[in-house]
Amino acid sequence: MDLSRFFDSYPGSYITQAFFHSAVAGAVVEIALKSWQIRSPAIRQKFLLLAVVFPIFSFPLYRIADSGRDSVYFRLGALFDSGRWMSVELPASIPLGAILILVFFMTSLVFFFQELFPVLKHALASGKSPMEEVRAGDDPAIAQALESLPAEKPEIFVLEDEDPMIFSATGRKGSIYLSTGLLELLSVEQLRAALAHEISHVSRSRRPYMVVVFLLRILMFFNPIVLLEFRRSVQDDEKICDEMAASLTGKPLVLAETLRRLYLSQEAPANGETAKGPSVTEKMEEYSHRLNIQSRIDRLEKGYAQWSGGEWFVFAVTLLAIAAINYYVV
Amino acid sequence: MKKLWGIFAFASAVAVLIVAMKIVNWVPSLAQPDLLKKYRNLDEVKTGLNMRDIIIPSYFPQNLKWPPSTILAQGKPFQAVVMEFEQDVTKDTSLVISQSLSENFRADGKIRLVQLKEKVNYSLKGRNVVLEVGFGSKGEMCSRVFWKEGKYWIHVMSKSPPFELLKVAESMIQ
Repeated sequence: MDLSRFFDSYPGSYITQAFFHSAVAGAVVEIALKSWQIRSPAIRQKFLLLAVVFPIFSFPLYRIADSGRDSVYFRLGALFDSGRWMSVELPASIPLGAILILVFFMTSLVFFFQELFPVLKHALASGKSPMEEVRAGDDPAIAQALESLPAEKPEIFVLEDEDPMIFSATGRKGSIYLSTGLLELLSVEQLRAALAHEISHVSRSRRPYMVVVFLLRILMFFNPIVLLEFRRSVQDDEKICDEMAASLTGKPLVLAETLRRLYLSQEAPANGETAKGPSVTEKMEEYSHRLNIQSRIDRLEKGYAQWSGGEWFVFAVTLLAIAAINYYVV
Repeated sequence: MKKLWGIFAFASAVAVLIVAMKIVNWVPSLAQPDLLKKYRNLDEVKTGLNMRDIIIPSYFPQNLKWPPSTILAQGKPFQAVVMEFEQDVTKDTSLVISQSLSENFRADGKIRLVQLKEKVNYSLKGRNVVLEVGFGSKGEMCSRVFWKEGKYWIHVMSKSPPFELLKVAESMIQ
């Protein structure tokens, strides 16, 4: 197959330019976050989502604005012409463009199996009856924990499981699931902090903004930069819910202790574990998960200054820089 | 003060990013010498890109200067050559001829039909050609004709009424 025909076509140009536009957007966003020292997760998330949403619209909008953008003269004066890199031949006459297509394919698989499939499964399962070993959460400890929380309380269910766990099911009617193991492990105050965090997730999931962002994100299923940036923004969602939970309970240190107890106090896998131990991928996932939890604990323990630097001004400047640079990326 | 420092840091880092992108854009030409670039003359294109069959018009309007003022060509991702011709007196680019293996290759930067007035299919020496007539960005009359000649797509664009343009195009058909 002649790859140059694909890269020359409208879909090929769209896919390639969307990839490079998201890479530039990601770099500019990173520069903005560092330059203005933006640490508030809510603001960071808005910036990170720029790299997710911008490339969806950039190519068609630039084309409408300037029909001569795909002419040979424009390409010659461009800041970055993707066609030049796509034409570079690797050994065995494999064009670099073929490697990029392979990357898009692999990213699509990761997106489908790790993001879309679980969401579809969750959506299909939400209409059915809950798991078998589940009972209503009318335990006195739960009632006591919920009592003083100034928020709308979702339905609580208890799973008969000795492993400590808590999660929320979002959707039209959000609910929180927690295990008997968790009830045994946490004090009432810690349980309140954990429930406040999950209540924050449920209330955030009701906002149409996040649903729209996820639907837009689906359009960029092939884009590895969008995959990474979207995942980073999801991590920030945890920090946003930590802040909401801390403001609901008024006790950030209790939430920090709860996180430590739930996720870090369990024995970490020993180094140099052999054949039957976890795979390298699992170890890396575990390591990155622990790092993420530790950073959340640090924020709660050390406190977090609210950013007051004119959020919309900085956002507008960043967006303008992204749009201006990407105009010259073809 | 913090905000000002932020603006300065942001502007500096963005400038570094732009320079880095320019360098990254230049790197492929080290590995792939046949990417789009300017050539001094057509012989250089023929030998450099092994492109022997460049089609040039046998009829040439008297008010234009030969040889082409600018020649752009590439061997990858597909063969293409663009020739620009200037007016003898005003030095204004008045004729652009492009020859390419891709239908989507566009060389309408110097002469661009901003407002299309008429588009007709035409038979010229047995070739099905498409003729477009309209106005350019400064309101000047422009015309364009394109057709497939063997394996190549030929585009001829001119800042003139179609009469002269068709004569040029006709002289390129063997």
